[in-house]
Amino acid sequence: MEIIKKLDGDKFELKVEGRLDTTTAPELEEVIVAGIEGVKELVFDFAALDYISSAGLRVLLSAQKIMNKQGDMKVIGVNDTIMEIFEVTGFSDILTIDK
Amino acid sequence: MNEVRGEFNDGKLVIFLSGHIDSNNAPLVEAEVLKELEGRDIQSIVLDVGELAYISSAGLRVLLRIRKSNENMKIINANSEVFEVLDMTGFTQMIEVEKAYREVSIEGCEVIGQGANGTLYRIDKDNVVKVYNNADALADIQNEREMAKTALILGIPTAISYDVVKVNGSYGSVFELLNASSFAKILQTQPDKFDWCVQEFTGMLNRIHSTVVPKGKLPDIKKTVTGWVEFMKDYLPADAHQKLKRMVFEVPHDDHMIHGDYHIKNLELTDNEVLLIDMDTLAVGHPIFELASMYNAFHGFSEYDHENVKNFLGIDYETSLKFLHDVFACYLSTDDEEKINEVEEKARIIGYVRMIRRSIRRKGLEDENKKAEIELWKSELLKLLDKVDTLLFTRDEIVVEAKVENLQDVLNFVDSHLDKVGCDPATQMKLQVAVEELFVNIAHYAYKPGSGDVAIGVNVTKEPKSVTISFKDSGVPFNPLAKEEPDITLKAEERGIGGLGIYMVRKTMDEMTYEYKDGQNILSMKKFF
Repeated sequence: MEIIKKLDGDKFELKVEGRLDTTTAPELEEVIVAGIEGVKELVFDFAALDYISSAGLRVLLSAQKIMNKQGDMKVIGVNDTIMEIFEVTGFSDILTIDK
Repeated sequence: MNEVRGEFNDGKLVIFLSGHIDSNNAPLVEAEVLKELEGRDIQSIVLDVGELAYISSAGLRVLLRIRKSNENMKIINANSEVFEVLDMTGFTQMIEVEKAYREVSIEGCEVIGQGANGTLYRIDKDNVVKVYNNADALADIQNEREMAKTALILGIPTAISYDVVKVNGSYGSVFELLNASSFAKILQTQPDKFDWCVQEFTGMLNRIHSTVVPKGKLPDIKKTVTGWVEFMKDYLPADAHQKLKRMVFEVPHDDHMIHGDYHIKNLELTDNEVLLIDMDTLAVGHPIFELASMYNAFHGFSEYDHENVKNFLGIDYETSLKFLHDVFACYLSTDDEEKINEVEEKARIIGYVRMIRRSIRRKGLEDENKKAEIELWKSELLKLLDKVDTLLFTRDEIVVEAKVENLQDVLNFVDSHLDKVGCDPATQMKLQVAVEELFVNIAHYAYKPGSGDVAIGVNVTKEPKSVTISFKDSGVPFNPLAKEEPDITLKAEERGIGGLGIYMVRKTMDEMTYEYKDGQNILSMKKFF
């Protein structure tokens, strides 16, 4: 997994590439925790994300909970396979997704 | 009191130091040593400190000044006190220092094991000594110790030597092995334990083969085997040799551990656990190379003369063949004779190559009997080379320790089966997610706070295209299908994080079953694609 961070004022964009699974999810969580303070807009760019398991979903859920209190969160570039997982788990209703 | 005595021969000066060297007598010792150095054309200096009881820092400074006169200096026969001083002060890193080795007698001692490079004797109730065949074995001993350490750290139960001794002019390494008896002995004396031995023997094999070794820690067996194949060039028809070379070349790199000399004299049952010994052949590589050396130990070396196995493993030929067969069956988790035979044939190819090379290098072609044996192996090898096209095989089940670090191995194993039938990426990802969720769940909860194994089985069908994946563990009984489903209509604030993984699996797979049987959780899932 690769994470490319971009902080632009109070907009924090994270481009996540590769696999977001049990082994890599803690790394993404650390990046979020370290950078989320004062952020008004959090964007996950999943255009190059190939894989997500429940460990990754948990990180998204906790980020969403934080952003509900301090701003907006958006997930962009989601491919069909990952979209299917969001739908199956009800995450498509929780997250704001731009395909 | 102290004394300095020198012996000079062929440019080599041996200086014997004895007694104590401290600030009182250091200048005197130095003066005497200088006298020995004077006017001689010295190529190398050896300080024999066998009779030296004590050395202080003033004495160490003398040693440094001697070394200044000639860089080519070593210290031999250091007793443990002197060695400790030299080691603590860092001298052992700049000067070669050999310890004095304690003499151990093996007269009347029971032989409890026999490996490729040495023989194992029990010297008392708790300790054994491995006497090396090679007279100049210090480097080998150091090497084996490093390998055993590597294995132990990676979770393979083994014994590590704590002392090096002299035995009748050879070197030996001593380690603790309480009340141990080899599997060879158990098979000889308790034939009713045959099936238990097969289980335990295969269990350890699985454990070795599921251990990932950090890069560079152990040699690569494929390199070694490639060397054997090169040797065979002069002894095989060109086309057969070419095919052999290709098949070995095509075996992919594998960073899992293999033992390299795995047989029933290298597995010991102690009071409370099974220990693997004789660690000097450890390597990394594809398991086919391990199965090859197992074939040799249990069958190959006795194929011509069936009595050999009795001398080597202490069991008769029929028992040995049955043991190997049952271990292969257990290792491959199958009772399909065709499948067992297929893998054995692949193993035999490498096995024969190894034995033929070994025998020829030991001048086997100059002895009538040995020559006939080589001919037998060679004719079998040629038959197999005609028939077999690849050394690769897939197992239907693997056993790994239930820990998250092994997830990649499990995924690779499942993928290797999916590749056989061809699977679209979307389905493959769903299957990978399902495998991850279930495996990680077992790794996190089944054996807490201890550890244990999980067996993963894969079965694919072509028409219709389907895959069935099963997980077996002996942890706490847990039926994931009985778990209440999370409410996925809740808002983010109200949603918890539990249960999501298993829920995803249930939604994406076509069939799932769970049963608790014979102390095992057996979870199985099926997907059509």
